[in-house]
Amino acid sequence: MAVDRKATGSNREVVVVAGIRTPMGKMNGCLEGLSAVELGMHAVRELLARSPLTRDDIDSVIIGNVIQPTDAVNISRVISLQAGIPRQVPAHTVHRNCASGMQAVTDAAEKILAGRAEVVVAGGVESMTHAPLLFHDRFRRAVAGLQRARSIPDKARAALGMLKAPWKPRIALMEGLTDPVVNLNMGQTAEILAREFNISRREQDEFSVQSHQRADKAWEDEWFSSEVMHLFAPPKYAAVHRDEGIRTGQNMEALAKLRPAFEKPLGSVTAGNSSQITDGAAMLLLTYREKAEAEGWPILGYLYDWAYSGCDPARMGLGPVYSSNTLLSRYGMSAKDMARVEINEAFAAQVLACLKAMDSKQFCTKMLGAKAAVGAPDMDRLNVHGGAIALGHPVGMSGARLVLTLLRQLKHDTGGGLGLATLCIGGGQGGAILVGSEPWKS
Amino acid sequence: MEVVTLSRKGGVARLRLSRSDRSVNVLDEACMEQLEAHLGTLEKSAPQLLVIESGMPGCFIAGADLNIIQSVTDADAATRLAERGQALCRRIEALSSPSIAVVDGACMGGGLELAMSCDHIIAVYGEKTSLGLPEIKIGIHPGFGGCVRLPRRIGWPQAVEMILTGRPVDAERAHRIGLAQLACHPEQVDDAIKHLASSGKANRGRTEPWWFHIWPIRKLFFYKVREKALARFRHLDIEEAYPSVPGTIDLLEEIYGMSDGLAYAREAGSLGKYAVTPACKNLIRVFFLGEALKKQEMVRKGKPVAKELRRTAIYGAGVMGGGIAWVASRDGDVDLHDITGDALGHGMKLLAKLARRDSKRFQRIRPAMDSSGLASTDVVIEAVLEDIDVKKQLWADVESAVRKDTLLLTNTSSLSVSDQQAGLKYPGRMVGLHFFNPAPKMPLVEVVAGSKSTKKSVQTTAALAARWGKFPVVVADCPGFLVNRCLMPFMSAALQLFECGQKLEHIDGALKNFGMPMGAIELADRVGLDICHHVGSHLSESYGKRMAMPLWFDQMVEKGVLGMKSGRGFYLYEGEKRLGMNPELSQYLKLKSHREKEFDANLADQDDAMTDKKIVEACLLPMLTEALACLSEKVVDSTEHLDAAMIYGIGFPPFRGGLLHYFSTIKKDELRHSFKSSGMKLPANLEVIYE
Repeated sequence: MAVDRKATGSNREVVVVAGIRTPMGKMNGCLEGLSAVELGMHAVRELLARSPLTRDDIDSVIIGNVIQPTDAVNISRVISLQAGIPRQVPAHTVHRNCASGMQAVTDAAEKILAGRAEVVVAGGVESMTHAPLLFHDRFRRAVAGLQRARSIPDKARAALGMLKAPWKPRIALMEGLTDPVVNLNMGQTAEILAREFNISRREQDEFSVQSHQRADKAWEDEWFSSEVMHLFAPPKYAAVHRDEGIRTGQNMEALAKLRPAFEKPLGSVTAGNSSQITDGAAMLLLTYREKAEAEGWPILGYLYDWAYSGCDPARMGLGPVYSSNTLLSRYGMSAKDMARVEINEAFAAQVLACLKAMDSKQFCTKMLGAKAAVGAPDMDRLNVHGGAIALGHPVGMSGARLVLTLLRQLKHDTGGGLGLATLCIGGGQGGAILVGSEPWKS
Repeated sequence: MEVVTLSRKGGVARLRLSRSDRSVNVLDEACMEQLEAHLGTLEKSAPQLLVIESGMPGCFIAGADLNIIQSVTDADAATRLAERGQALCRRIEALSSPSIAVVDGACMGGGLELAMSCDHIIAVYGEKTSLGLPEIKIGIHPGFGGCVRLPRRIGWPQAVEMILTGRPVDAERAHRIGLAQLACHPEQVDDAIKHLASSGKANRGRTEPWWFHIWPIRKLFFYKVREKALARFRHLDIEEAYPSVPGTIDLLEEIYGMSDGLAYAREAGSLGKYAVTPACKNLIRVFFLGEALKKQEMVRKGKPVAKELRRTAIYGAGVMGGGIAWVASRDGDVDLHDITGDALGHGMKLLAKLARRDSKRFQRIRPAMDSSGLASTDVVIEAVLEDIDVKKQLWADVESAVRKDTLLLTNTSSLSVSDQQAGLKYPGRMVGLHFFNPAPKMPLVEVVAGSKSTKKSVQTTAALAARWGKFPVVVADCPGFLVNRCLMPFMSAALQLFECGQKLEHIDGALKNFGMPMGAIELADRVGLDICHHVGSHLSESYGKRMAMPLWFDQMVEKGVLGMKSGRGFYLYEGEKRLGMNPELSQYLKLKSHREKEFDANLADQDDAMTDKKIVEACLLPMLTEALACLSEKVVDSTEHLDAAMIYGIGFPPFRGGLLHYFSTIKKDELRHSFKSSGMKLPANLEVIYE
């Protein structure tokens, strides 16, 4: 199949030289003592230590992050400097909600294709633990009034206003996971999909158990041990390697006991069949093929093409269907042609809805303008080492993690072929990236 | 030679100190003379403004000339020296024009006292800028009016602390506490001078807190200060060891509220008294010994290469490895390797404790559990198990991963460096670098040249250690190297005394009274009895019985009585805290002690409690014998290096000036007699200590 990669418009082939991620820790869990900056710093430092190139080879640093810490607003730059990357190397932070990590990777790839950089560190980082608690806006106004007040009566009045203003903190994490346009929580958008695609609680729970079992087995087989670095997190500095969220022996009975998390009492989305709120960082080192070959750097895999597309914010979970169709139809391919597929498991209902939509002729003709159903990937090629339900979903990091784990699967498990990593994005978008472990052949 | 230049421009006169014969400005004879002469001119025609500055980069005035203090033997002469300095400072103070000292770099001792006599001090931000009165560290106290002027600038409580600890402050802190009127960046110095010149002669009120004026509270304050300062020296005869510490407190308490003239006279008199004490001379000697180590030829020659070494990998995340990681992270990146996550986690936790005040430094240390990062590493240091096979295996693995010019350093305490070199492809780059526990605190390192180590590697290693703020002593590759070899007979002798019926507390107490940081037996407990046993048996293979631990020692180790780490050794421990004597001891050596006594003629007569002096002698003579043997075997280059090693490595009391120096103060006949009466052979090269 002769392929003209017109979308990228460049002769360069973007390669990933190395990649590493931290273990993922549950919210307020084992990585509680590390800020997002520290997580990113550890990951970048480890990435550089494990790759053959020196810090002077790097041209740019791009890192995705959602809950941008107020004490490190351009978190990418802070991470870059703390990890010892020379100060003349520029760094910027990108944000596309749950796809921020993937955005960083594709931005880096585009920079390389455009000839504006040769070697880029790209990745994602998130510490959901450290999402701040915020004051109410009326409280802010009262504080501002107090600062402005000059006379003593004014000051007293302002102080009284401050006391009367609401003291209850707003939880940034919850507000961030709510779409302000349709005013729905992410979990509620998953409930919509579950209803519309007729996905039962049992199906969702079965998918979740499978995710845990696969992740647990992958760790037992030491499949993850070279993908994940060790972290020594304060205050105990005990070694953390395994992802904290994986439950060995997760079963249907345990999941059945959970109550719906978002729509009580009739909903079907629970904490057990949703992705876990976690902390973590993943980093990749990107360059292009000629450079890597000339320098003798190893090549983990190639990034061929990528696409982002929009959809209904209230059904943001279907984003992967749209974006992967946009991407794959460029080459006349479907998810069935992929050796491995990673669909980020934001919610079990959401992944299952995507699969059903891909297999539905009605959906594909109406929504995608296709002639027939585009076809869903087989379950034995999808998320084979578990997904976010078991491992966790540090929002800014997951996109980079998917690319890393997919490339490693293609290199070590299938020994070649193409892979698709795709995820849904809060606000009604989808992102997809096409990768392979060997140069693009016709 | 001109070391002080006076220039006038407009109404501004500048006194500029700069010299080519030294790397720093010091207040020596030439400098004082020229300052006095220039002041004479200034007094005749006063300028509108006087600026005192330094032409040397990174240094304002490093202090008075230590050589002068070292050579003074007469208290009156020392007092006159202080009076001369005081007079100079008072003349600057009395000038009709305002004066400003621009402090950019080290400003220590007499330098700070001179600066304080100016109306204003400008502290220039910079790494090297530090202002302090470190005189207490060499057994004296400020003598150019510092004891009077510092309290006036920063208030009594702060001043007492600064004078008694000798700790310097940086530009920012100097400004905050009021020592400097202004802190500024180098580019702003001219503006700063203009700014301060407009405020004219200073008319500073006293800055003491209100409570300081109340007599009983002030008394209580000084009582507390005295108690705190002397707590560390409780076991010492303070008048012999550090007489200037209580002396300085007395002085400060007395001159509070005194008129200036009297206070200066009192200060000068007191300085004269302490400058001629042997403690002062010895402390200065020790300071010079350390400086000499840092500036020795080896270090100088290795500097250019050592400067380029940026990344260090350390194997073994135990207490030693972690400590070394901390030392190496001072100015470079460190990878800390270990095989298990637990060990590494433990090491990181220890490091985090050290890093509480310096998180930047902590961030430079990367824990690693595989051989990642070795390819770009410049230095590899191992601090793993003391087992030749383990080490050889490690070196084989490391060598296959590093560049061929990577420096390989072994922190072994008992294994031979030459043995470890065997099997390496490029053995020339391997050198021993032996740290002392705890590595971040102990200033000494032994640099051990193996048989195949190249001269360049040894020089680089020494320079690297100096860069990390350590004092490197180059020693030969003999078992135990220098310090442990001298330490073992000392420990062994103490144990023998114990065996012969001397009480534990008595032995350790006598040694502590002598000035050792801890008794020999407590030291054994802290090192770990198993390690002592291991080292002892290892060294006795080469040197014979004098290094061996007694037989009953085996039983203790077997039973798990391992010293502090197991909670019980010769003493009982609760964490780091020492409790009483271990009551189980009798079961290990009750019988032994009687039998040994009958056969050991040397110690037979020591049935009753020995005097402190005898105990110290009994422990130190074997140490001296071993040290002299090391000298004659050329294990160490010079007597100076040997003295420095004993002080900085095992804490031989610095106020005694070093092991050999201490014995050189004892009369030859007396020393011969001591050797004879303790039944020891007279060392053949005993004469060297008198040279």
